[in-house]
Amino acid sequence: MLKLFKTILKTGEATLKYPFAPMPISPGFRGKPEYKPEQCIACGACAIACPSNALSMSANVEAGEHTWQLFLGNCIFCGRCEEVCPTKAIVLSQEFELAVGNKNDLFQNATFKIANCTCCEKPFAPQKEIEYTADLLKQTGMSAEAVEACRDQLQTCADCKRKQSMRATDKVELTGFMQKGNEA
Amino acid sequence: MSAITETKVGQHYIDALRQRFPSSVLEEEWQTKDQVTVTVKVNSLPEVVEWLYYNQGGWISVLFGNDERSIHGNFAVYYVLSMEGGVKSFVVVRAEVDARTGEFPSVTPKVPACGWGEREIRDMYGLKPVGLPDERRLVLPDDWPDNLHPLRKDTMDYRVRPEPTSNVENYKFVNDACGETREIPLGPLHITSDEPGHFRLFVDGEDIVDADYRMFYVHRGMEKVAETRMGYDEVTFLADRVCGICGFAHSVAYASSVENALGIIVPERAQVIRSIMLEVERMHSHLLNLGLACHFVGFDTGFMQFFRVREKAMTLAELLTGARKTYGINLIGGVRRDIQKFEQMQTIKLCAELRAEVTGLVEMLLETPNLAQRTSGIGRLDPEIARNFSPVGPNIRASGFARDTRSDHAYCGFKNYSMPVRTKDGCDVLSRVLIRAEEFFDSIDYIMYALADMPGGPLLVEGHVYKPHKFALGFVEAPRGEDIHWSMLGDNQKLFRWRARASTYANWPPLRYMLRGNTVSDAPLIVASIDPCYSCTDRVTMIDIRKGKSTTVPYKEIERYGRERKNSPLK
Repeated sequence: MLKLFKTILKTGEATLKYPFAPMPISPGFRGKPEYKPEQCIACGACAIACPSNALSMSANVEAGEHTWQLFLGNCIFCGRCEEVCPTKAIVLSQEFELAVGNKNDLFQNATFKIANCTCCEKPFAPQKEIEYTADLLKQTGMSAEAVEACRDQLQTCADCKRKQSMRATDKVELTGFMQKGNEA
Repeated sequence: MSAITETKVGQHYIDALRQRFPSSVLEEEWQTKDQVTVTVKVNSLPEVVEWLYYNQGGWISVLFGNDERSIHGNFAVYYVLSMEGGVKSFVVVRAEVDARTGEFPSVTPKVPACGWGEREIRDMYGLKPVGLPDERRLVLPDDWPDNLHPLRKDTMDYRVRPEPTSNVENYKFVNDACGETREIPLGPLHITSDEPGHFRLFVDGEDIVDADYRMFYVHRGMEKVAETRMGYDEVTFLADRVCGICGFAHSVAYASSVENALGIIVPERAQVIRSIMLEVERMHSHLLNLGLACHFVGFDTGFMQFFRVREKAMTLAELLTGARKTYGINLIGGVRRDIQKFEQMQTIKLCAELRAEVTGLVEMLLETPNLAQRTSGIGRLDPEIARNFSPVGPNIRASGFARDTRSDHAYCGFKNYSMPVRTKDGCDVLSRVLIRAEEFFDSIDYIMYALADMPGGPLLVEGHVYKPHKFALGFVEAPRGEDIHWSMLGDNQKLFRWRARASTYANWPPLRYMLRGNTVSDAPLIVASIDPCYSCTDRVTMIDIRKGKSTTVPYKEIERYGRERKNSPLK
């Protein structure tokens, strides 16, 4: 019994003054994801990796817009988004005080313009993602003119590219190795 | 984790099985070097399982159904036996069940441990275990339609819930006592917290004559959700949420089941990090239970002290993973987060503090006369009943059986470490408390050992090719006992079937026998001693069999009475 009293005395106050004093947290604590729209290229990698569907991408084809959305109410703070983001547009912060009075405050949106395919004129990819690809090419040492020259190629959708490559092979005989049908 | 090598562990079980039941064994297939699935004729299922269970030292780990009609036209049932007689391995007995009749012979009359599993198969797949003694629903609620079986592939979308078919609760609670009792309508259920269960104690004055209980009020349909909308990596995060205490154990069990199925070899460093986190989890869980043990015997100061110290274990988890719970560091093939020098130093410091503080607290707890007085000889889990029901963890170790997955089927970092297995012969609440106290220090020892000798190398292997319909088991000794997962991969980058069995699932069925013969005021103590996923058995109904009178008492009241032992709510 005496030992117990000793322990209690020695411990003193075990509780923290929180919320009137800051709460100490570990350096690697996984808190609210901080999003930088200026860094984002709307590639959607985070939305694919997100296990809890807190992150989503939705396209509005008529308006030519692509919307990135984070719903904090679904977020499990696993940090998969941070791991897969190619441009470091999303990083987990240390913030954990996330209670809100209005549910809408838990949503965060960013809208991006969708570029149309130069060939079929159908919307196919976020303009920013295309620009990012062009910039990457410049970084690898291609001159600005050379990049501009392949601009058309960058801004062509996969379907059209497939068709174009088919056209180039129009003249090739595809049935050379096939056996002739049995005439009898 | 382990590719199949030349040396198959447990081959002799199969050879003996073939010799004993020459015409029954149809097929054998090895998943890893110590996991084998034997397909037997459905009619010999009870004999085969019984023989492996009682003659060869097997224990039922889990059993489940699987809708394999899209693969070969039939349903299948799997009985997973952990073989612990001499050679330790897993033998899974599989039988195909005809899709038209849906009938298979029940194993429960021969091996009582199969009771819950067969009731669940009945609910979830609509298969009929012929001869099953207890045909009540286990998982499905009373208002669920009769012919709708959620885990059949063609049943329903996981997002919909059918209209209720009944407004009344029609579950019959079983009472083996001789004497008249009345059935009592319970009224609406108040799910006050996240994991409610309903207890019915059949009492004679203050003595419990029999007990029954009902769980699954908050069945979350995780298996279905994983099969229908999540990818393999995402399910590790879902598995983290199976349990609020041993979530990481589930996550590791799930990840290793997929890794075993594909023969992925997880890097050494990742395995050690997983083991360290599993032990951190055990520390906080055992401290929680030791605290609760204090609380339930009326030693609330001790409860406060244990919970104060437990906070250090939580800080440790936050430091190493970035979150106090739901660590979220597993992926198929390894872990996502390394333990750096700074974290290593902090961990060693925190572990030293924990060891010193808990040593003092445990001494204090054991010196408290209340503890022995209230817990010694209470809630006896008879070794014979334990043998029949295959419970796990400290619960069975306190009844003299040395069952611990960490040493029986060593996984992750425990392969190169000999973990002591703590057993006691008291069979009572006290023994379970003492085992937890001892295991706490074993966990610290392991963490210190692992941190001092961390292997280098990568944390994660990637780029797996998922082969459809491969399957295997994954297992982990969680704080309350073995968590076991079985995963079958699908052909659409999703699981075909995922069976997650939490340790408490194995510990509930024998609880009934542990309650018998004790007094009402000991009931909360006994229930807490199996450390169930338990925060809120939200109410208890007592039926006095002599007076034929029933009283529904709020759980708080029973708990208060358990502590103070004054002003009985029954009077």
